[in-house]
Amino acid sequence: MNDMRQILEDSVVRLFSEQVDRDVLTRIEETGWPDDLWSQVDELGICQVLAAEAAGGADGVWADAYPIVRACGHYALPLPVPETITAVWLARQADCMLPAGVPGLIPEVLDAGDVHENSLSLDGVVIPWGRRADYLIGVADINGAAELIVVSAAGASIEQAANLGLDPRDAVSGRSLEIEARYAFDLPADVIHWIGAMLRAAQIAGAGAACLELAVNYAAEREQFGRSLSRFQAIQHYLADLAGTMASVDAIAAAAFEALDRSGISNGQRDARFEIAAAKCRASEAVERLTRLSHQVHGAIGFTYEYGLHFLTRKLWAWRAEFGGAGEWGEYLGTVAFESGGDGIWQTITG
Amino acid sequence: MLSEKLRFHPCELPPSLDALRAEVRAFLREETAAYPAVHLSNSWDAYDPEFSAKLGARGWLGMTLPAAYGGHGRSAFERYVVVEECLAAGAPAGFHWIADRQSGPLIVRYGTAAQKHEIIPKITAGRACFCIGMSEPNAGSDLASLRTKAEHTADGWVVNGTKIWTTYAHRADYMIALFRTDSASESRHAGLSQFLIDLRKTEGITPRPIKDLTGRLHFNEVAFENAVLPEDALIGKEGRGWQQVTEELAFERSGPERYLSCFVLLTHLIDVIGEDASPATMARIGSQIAWVATLRNMSLSIAGKLDQGEDPALAASIVKDLGCQFEQGLPGLAQELCELEPTLAGHGVDYQQVLGNLIQLAPSFSLRGGTPEIMRGIIAKGLGVR
Repeated sequence: MNDMRQILEDSVVRLFSEQVDRDVLTRIEETGWPDDLWSQVDELGICQVLAAEAAGGADGVWADAYPIVRACGHYALPLPVPETITAVWLARQADCMLPAGVPGLIPEVLDAGDVHENSLSLDGVVIPWGRRADYLIGVADINGAAELIVVSAAGASIEQAANLGLDPRDAVSGRSLEIEARYAFDLPADVIHWIGAMLRAAQIAGAGAACLELAVNYAAEREQFGRSLSRFQAIQHYLADLAGTMASVDAIAAAAFEALDRSGISNGQRDARFEIAAAKCRASEAVERLTRLSHQVHGAIGFTYEYGLHFLTRKLWAWRAEFGGAGEWGEYLGTVAFESGGDGIWQTITG
Repeated sequence: MLSEKLRFHPCELPPSLDALRAEVRAFLREETAAYPAVHLSNSWDAYDPEFSAKLGARGWLGMTLPAAYGGHGRSAFERYVVVEECLAAGAPAGFHWIADRQSGPLIVRYGTAAQKHEIIPKITAGRACFCIGMSEPNAGSDLASLRTKAEHTADGWVVNGTKIWTTYAHRADYMIALFRTDSASESRHAGLSQFLIDLRKTEGITPRPIKDLTGRLHFNEVAFENAVLPEDALIGKEGRGWQQVTEELAFERSGPERYLSCFVLLTHLIDVIGEDASPATMARIGSQIAWVATLRNMSLSIAGKLDQGEDPALAASIVKDLGCQFEQGLPGLAQELCELEPTLAGHGVDYQQVLGNLIQLAPSFSLRGGTPEIMRGIIAKGLGVR
C-alpha cells in the first residue's frame, strides 16, 4: 500500500473512531444531519480524494478511496461521503466544476424525457440525503450519448423517507429544476449504478469487519456456564465463519476498486464491470451470514437499541439491496457466463 | 485493528505473464483434446506420467526452483499461472503434483547438495512422483499424536509403524514422511522429524492400496517394518518436523486447487443449460462466478504475501475453508438447475459423467489438506479467541 493511501486511511480512522460512537449515531438518528461532523469530514478532504490537485484534491485513484469508503461502512457513518466522492469523480471525468455544498447523487439513468433545454424534471426519484442536497448530479442517456447533468436543488419538493439503516433516502420531485451545467461524457449512462454497487460492497466489507470485531470482543467478555463464550467451539466456529465471510467481501470489493483504476468501465471489453458485479453479488449474499452470525453470537443484548450492533446490521440489510442485490448482479454475471460459454468463462475470469 | 490481519490486499498478476498464460492454454487445449471429459474432472488426482513429462519438457515444473539444481528460477507468479491453467482445464496433474508443489521446494531448502543434484532435475522433468506420509491409523486431524518411529542407530534410521491415506504411495518414487524421532519429549509437537525416502531403494516398506468409494485405487496404507533409511534421509532439523510441515501447509492450503476442483463441472453446466436459461438460473450461475472471482483474488493475494516472505497461515486457512464450501456446493447446485441425472463414466453425455464423478469425489475435498473443523480452529486462534 502506498504512503498517501495509508495516511488517508489513518486520518479517516482516527476521525471516525474519535467522533462516531454509539451516542453520536443515536443523536444523529434522532435529530438528523450533523453539521459539526460534516464539516470535520469536509476539512479532512476525504470527499476530494479523487479530485485533481489543482482543484484542491488528493489526485487519488479509486484504490485510494477504498479504505475511506470501507471505513464509512465500518463506523456506520450516516453521511453521504461515498456519494460525494462519486460526484467529485464524475465531475472530473467531465472536466467540470461542481457547485459548493452537498451533492444529491441521482441513482437512476435520466433520459430525454427528463432533460429539457435548461431544466430537469424529476418525479419521485429516490436520492440519498435528498433533503440536505444543495445540488443534484446525475447522468442522462440522450439518444445514446451520455451527459453529466448538474442541477440546483432549489425548488425541489422532498418527500422524506429513509432506508432500514435510517439513512435518508428521499423521494425528490420537481417540474423544472434549473440545469447549472451539462457535459458530454465518455462513460456509460448507467455509470452511477455501477459505481454505487461498488461503493455499497466496500461499505458492506467495512460494516462486516466491525460486526466481527464486536462479536469477537463480546464473546471474550461474556461468561456463561462458568467460562467465556469464546471458549465454546460452536462460538469459535461462528466467529471463524463470520471472519471468512467478511474477508471474502473485503477481498473482492478491494479488487473491484483496483480493477476500475486499471480497466475502467467504458471500453466495453472485459473491463471492471466483471469485478464490480462480482463484488456486489458476493457482498449482498454475504449480508445474510454477517448479520445472522454477529447477532447470534451477541444473544439478546445485540437485539437492543442501546448496544448498537444494529447501527451496523440495519445498514447492512439496506446496502444489500441498494444499487442492485445478489439476484441482479448474479444475473449479470450469469449472462456473461453464458455469452462466454463453458469454454470461454475461465478466460473472462482471468481477464 | 483485529480485521487488519484478515485483509486480502489485491495482488494483480503482471501483464507480462499474459504470453505465458496463452502459451500454457494453447498447450493444454491440444494435450487434453484426446481425453474423455470425465477424465478431466479428476484434475490433480489423476496420475498420468506421460502428461507430466510433457509439462516438464516445456519447463513448467519446478519453475521456482534454482537453476543451479536444474530448476528454472522463475517467479512464484509464473508458476501460479501454469498451475491455475492446468486446474481450470482439469489437466491430469496427479503424478507431479506433490513434487512440484511442496517436495521440490522442501528439498531445495533442507536437502543435501547430493539430494538436490539427484532429485530436483527429475522433478523439473516431470519424472519423479512424490507422496506424503503424514496421517496414521490413529492420527488423522490430530497429527501431533502420530507414533511411527524413526530410531537413530549405527546403520542409519530404522522406521517402524504405519502411515495411511498416502496418495499414490504404491506408485511414487519418493515419500516425504513425518516420523517421531524422540518419544520422550514433553510437547507432542516436539520430537517429530521429516524424512526423504527413496521408495525404489528402501526395503521394509509395503504400501497396500485402499479402494475409495468410487472403486479407484489411489490412497494407501503403508507399513514400515524395520525399514532402514540412510543417515541423510533426515531432511531439515531433527525435532523440527512440526514447524517444517506447518510451513508447507501454508502453500498447500491457499493454492488454486482449493477452489477449482469442480470448475470443469461449472463449465459443462453452463454449456448444458445453454443461453436460454431463466433469469433465476442465470443468477445462480452468476453467483458461482462471483465466488470463483472472489476466491481467485484471495488466493492470489496470499501468493503475493508468500512471495514477500510473510506468514499467511490464517489467510490460507480462510481460503481453504471458503474454497471447500464453494466446490463442495457445486454438484448439488448443478442438480438443482439441471434435470440430467448423474451417470457413471462411459454413459450419458459429458456433463452427466463429470457430475457423477464429482458427486462422489466431493466428500474428500473437506478431508484432504485439513478439515473445516481444523481450519476454523486455526482461524479462531488467529482471531484471538482460542
